[in-house]
Amino acid sequence: MESSTQSEYVTLVSCDGFEFILPRSSACVSGTIRRMLDPSSKFSEAITGRCVLENLSGVVLEKVCEYFLYNEKHKDQANVADMDVPAELCLELLMAADYLDT
Amino acid sequence: MELHGVALQRETAANPVTCSDFLHFATALFGLTTFEMTGRRQRGNAGIRGPQSALTDFLASNNISAAQIRDEYDRRAAEAARQAAEEEEQAADAEYQDEAPPEPQPESPEEKSRKRKRQQAIEKIKKSKEFARRKARRTGEPDDDDDVLADEMMNEKQRPIPGQLANCEICGKRFTVTPYSKTGPDGGLLCADCSKKHTDGGKKGPAKKRNSGLGRRQNQSKLLDGFAIPGARSLLETCIKKVADNIDDVDEFGDLPPLVMHRLSQILSRNRAVTRKTLDLFLRPEHKELNIYDCAKLQTDDFHKILATMPALTRLNLRFVTAMKDEVFEYMMARDMKIQDLHLNSPNLVSDDCWRQLFTKFGPQLQSLKLWNLDSAFDDETAEVMSKTCTLLRRLKLKYLDKIGDKTLEAISTMKTLQHLSFHLTQETNPEPLLQVISQLGPNLYSLSLESFQLADDRLVQHIHDNCRELIKLRITDNAVIADKAMAELFRGWSNPALKFVDFSGLRDVDMSNPAGPPEAVGLASDGFVALMEHSGAKIEKLKVTSCRHISHAAYEEVFAENRRYPALKSLDIAFNAPVDDYIMQCIFRCCPALTKIVVFGCLKIRDVRVPKGVAVIGTLGAKLTVDGIAQKEIV
Repeated sequence: MESSTQSEYVTLVSCDGFEFILPRSSACVSGTIRRMLDPSSKFSEAITGRCVLENLSGVVLEKVCEYFLYNEKHKDQANVADMDVPAELCLELLMAADYLDT
Repeated sequence: MELHGVALQRETAANPVTCSDFLHFATALFGLTTFEMTGRRQRGNAGIRGPQSALTDFLASNNISAAQIRDEYDRRAAEAARQAAEEEEQAADAEYQDEAPPEPQPESPEEKSRKRKRQQAIEKIKKSKEFARRKARRTGEPDDDDDVLADEMMNEKQRPIPGQLANCEICGKRFTVTPYSKTGPDGGLLCADCSKKHTDGGKKGPAKKRNSGLGRRQNQSKLLDGFAIPGARSLLETCIKKVADNIDDVDEFGDLPPLVMHRLSQILSRNRAVTRKTLDLFLRPEHKELNIYDCAKLQTDDFHKILATMPALTRLNLRFVTAMKDEVFEYMMARDMKIQDLHLNSPNLVSDDCWRQLFTKFGPQLQSLKLWNLDSAFDDETAEVMSKTCTLLRRLKLKYLDKIGDKTLEAISTMKTLQHLSFHLTQETNPEPLLQVISQLGPNLYSLSLESFQLADDRLVQHIHDNCRELIKLRITDNAVIADKAMAELFRGWSNPALKFVDFSGLRDVDMSNPAGPPEAVGLASDGFVALMEHSGAKIEKLKVTSCRHISHAAYEEVFAENRRYPALKSLDIAFNAPVDDYIMQCIFRCCPALTKIVVFGCLKIRDVRVPKGVAVIGTLGAKLTVDGIAQKEIV
């Protein structure tokens, strides 16, 4: 249990079963996921390092993960361009961003 | 010999252009397809065929001799044949004497003259300005490069100009030279197809410099908005921006939370994109509030539609509602809507009668009322009705209302429930009614904003000092009467806790003949500023002292001394405070760890500043700003 909370990577699962494995620090860009994975919360997500996001489809979650890494990559840089978001996805992504608190 | 051959080839390639070009011209002119365009390429004596008589006539009329053209061609063809024969001969010789160096061939007088001409041309080129310029560009190379350079330029000169015909260097095909024709590996021109292939295979143009960030203009725009936070923008904000950009393709927002809707409305309003069509996206029956910051493109019908589709509305915040008329208010009253917060900018077509009816009907339920830009309606009498009927009103903002004055202030002083009060009247008012407002309402007020009360005097701040106990926000602007001493006394021994928002912009003496001001300082000057920061320094978040130009350098030094800290101060506007210099700026950055935005228009002593990360410095002129050791391009 201790080792899994220390694990460097976490798994995010979409409602249609796609799994995305990414660094813990990137995933924690999202406030919601950060609180899910907080070891002191004793949520099952924190114990297993696996978050099932029932309300996000694979397509949306993929873009969300892309943003997590984009955010981490451009941390502390000045004048960062906005990440490109496909127009057809942006409303869904907007809801996801609201839910994930990013 | 080889060099000689090349020169000759060049000659044949360069000279016939006049001829072939002319043929091309003739073909285009007369559609004479029988003209043998390829004849020139053929070895031997294939002459030019075609209906020469008509053409010759035409040419003769234009002072061109067809015979001369043909003679020239014949001569070149013969020469090419002779050259080919010579080469063959030489090749045969070479077979016999493999090791022996080829002996220089005697030159014919014709070639000699050509060589001489070329030499002359090269000499001429060497004297030209262009040559000098190119040579200057190639610094550091030995002098004897002159010949190479001149040779290059000579070849360039001989190259066909756009519009003429040339033979492709690679495939040998005949093609029309365009400005886009590429140069082949040996210096000749390439046809369109070969040009494409050549660039694909060969070197690509210098890689375009891509800035890692946004364009300069966007960066500056962000900075002017006071946004200098490092890192990527949040995904939510990115998506909202994207949705706003593609608003015409959106059919429905779906279950967007009200906060997101509000942000979208702000962006669309700023882009002036709120139209009848986009308005529909915001009309959701279950929502209780509607904020549209630009209704300039909406019609009276649209306001009816808003009220009809959103019966649960309690908060109606519409700006630039020029098309709003009495009917809309009447409809609102007929529907018995539960409006609690009414914020309207410029509903000028609504009559005073209708306003009074509205207050009579909705007054008791109104909690906040904000009105801007009313010039033809809303007079003192209406304000009196408002003061009597709005018994629960907590927030009142009246800005740029032309028809109200002293009487309105007197009426408002009876509205004991008010907690937030904001005035910017266009009429000049006497100091006394305002004092009455402060003394009656002061104890309950959380925020007080008094803009452009130009006749207000020291008694105003004394009343604030005596009556206000709960203020969080205080704004007094554009006044040249209140003395610095009174301002200082306001903050000394004031039982009000520390303020969070302070705006004293434009509190200064204005006298062109005496820029230093009277000996007894007027406005917010050194003493008042020190007292203000002593009183509110611990909690102050936003401070605006624009144009308070009597604050001295010493006062700044005292306020931003090494041991002072303003942990909450985020936004500071010290524009047109001339004494501020580089030293004061560094002191400010040291004392305000939370600072994100500082406005310094007109502070001309700021020349060279190290700016902490995440702080937007707005309004420097010709100053050197350094963030993390990297010089920034400045705004303006």
